[in-house]
Amino acid sequence: MPALLAENVTAGYGRTPIINDISLSVERGTVTTIIGPNGAGKSTFAKTLVGILRTSTGRIMVEDLDITRMPGHLIPRNGLVYVPQNDNVFKSLSVRENLEVGGFAAKGDTSARMEEILSVFTDLNKAREKRAGFLSGGQQNLLAIARALMVEPKVIVLDEPTAGLSPAYTDVVWNQIERIAQTGTGILVVEQNVERALKHADFVHIFVAGSNHVHGLASEIASLDLPAIFLGRAEAK
Amino acid sequence: MSAFWFYVFTLVFFLFDYFILAMGLNIQYGETGILNFAYIGFVALGAYVTGASSLPASAGTGQQYIMGWGLPFPLNLLLGGVAASLLAVFVALIAMRRLRTDYLAVVLISFSLVFYDITNNYVPLFNGADGLYNVPEPLAGIFKLTTNSFVPFFAIVTGLIALIMWWAMSRITKSPLGRTFRAIRDDEGVAAALGKGVFRYQLTSMLIGSFYAGIGGGLLVQFGGSFNTTSWLPAETFVVFAVIIVGGVGNNVGLLVGALLVETLLIHLPAFLPDIPGHPGLIEYIDTIVVGVLLWVMLWFRPQGVVPERIRKTPLALLQGLKSDRSTNEEVPAMSISDGAGVNEEGGVRD
Repeated sequence: MPALLAENVTAGYGRTPIINDISLSVERGTVTTIIGPNGAGKSTFAKTLVGILRTSTGRIMVEDLDITRMPGHLIPRNGLVYVPQNDNVFKSLSVRENLEVGGFAAKGDTSARMEEILSVFTDLNKAREKRAGFLSGGQQNLLAIARALMVEPKVIVLDEPTAGLSPAYTDVVWNQIERIAQTGTGILVVEQNVERALKHADFVHIFVAGSNHVHGLASEIASLDLPAIFLGRAEAK
Repeated sequence: MSAFWFYVFTLVFFLFDYFILAMGLNIQYGETGILNFAYIGFVALGAYVTGASSLPASAGTGQQYIMGWGLPFPLNLLLGGVAASLLAVFVALIAMRRLRTDYLAVVLISFSLVFYDITNNYVPLFNGADGLYNVPEPLAGIFKLTTNSFVPFFAIVTGLIALIMWWAMSRITKSPLGRTFRAIRDDEGVAAALGKGVFRYQLTSMLIGSFYAGIGGGLLVQFGGSFNTTSWLPAETFVVFAVIIVGGVGNNVGLLVGALLVETLLIHLPAFLPDIPGHPGLIEYIDTIVVGVLLWVMLWFRPQGVVPERIRKTPLALLQGLKSDRSTNEEVPAMSISDGAGVNEEGGVRD
């Protein structure tokens, strides 16, 4: 059973569909990326998965639980957590407080979980009592990812976690993503950087014009004529 | 009691009363990010309900008002607070479900104006433009207080109430609830993505803040003995905003400083000064200009206020024995890396 399953999902803003009939699954312990040109509907799809946008058709499952019509704020406690692109931390709160807020949907005492996470994210551990707004962009993204881990999610959806970061910190973030996947969490990453996505992902989906145009193993996707696919000149497989 | 001390205790009353009002607006705006431009409307409702519930039945009083139950202090005051909270729930259900920030602020201003017009023109509600008067002085009969002795007495009572409300507010802002309010203020979208029911928390914040507004209004009407529509022009909301912006948004101690600087020293102290010969009322206008300029200067040069917001130590952090961070109010330089410099093998940043 996949950790996350989206079947024939159509959604958009108001009555205008942005994504059409998209199906996708994420297995536990794997990294799946969505790449595609600007305006392909990648972020829209991510927002639809986590209930920010409503599906007009289709079904979204987290393991055996149907979350299609579930209010967005109830979804994290059922195992699916979303990390938005940019401005994704509470800047006036400390690193510790950010993690505590992230643990809201978890059951019981989250202090042990927080210590466990901080022992992995060494940067954050050093800055635990600093305001998140004073962290660098890369550290803020790591904090947002760390905060998502507080509820021990089945799946994390990351919307461009390396946008605007230096190459060095992009590596840091991707290494952490791979480490998280190794613990058995399914990860879905919306990514603009094709090279990085192919390097770090197990499965890749290419969205073009609101459709899941091509998908497959990262190694298979790497052999395709990606510029042609991005420009809509190649047939879907 | 000399006139000097009468004025001093009057100022003390306004200091504590505006401290309460500032705490109420601060939890809405400073902690949760709700731009409540109708705040003075909630203050007014608290004042009217407290006054009307403590007055006897209106027949024969020369006034028209609802209630007239002759409730004793502090039941009338609590009723004023509860009434303001109920109004907040009503307003929140209508306006806050779908509107955010600027749009919500515009709707709340409109609400304030509508409420003002209704109370000003619908006489059977709270006696129209004349407002309520002859509101009983609380506990004056029990302690056999004269008009002179009532002023210091009630200033002290208001101080005690402010102390209790400050203690309660500190508990709220340091609790997980307060932390959630601040998270919503920073980014309600991210808060929702983490499982927070944003509207429910905003509603809670409105409810708590409006209770404070109602209590502050109730104290006003009992101190002065009267309350009418000239006491709460919609623009009065911005005086309370000035209190929290000057004092320090998100900091309860800063609110007391703001109440002292803005409300006590700038608004009420000059009101006791003699008029400038040939220019009656000029001091009041200068006063308003000074408050406006102060607000401008603070927003430009020190937007965090005189006493800035501090990072709260939650019980969890205290239990873990985390060291108190002496630099929480200082701007800590961002730890950044460039081109791999400073990155260790584990992806951490070197000291």
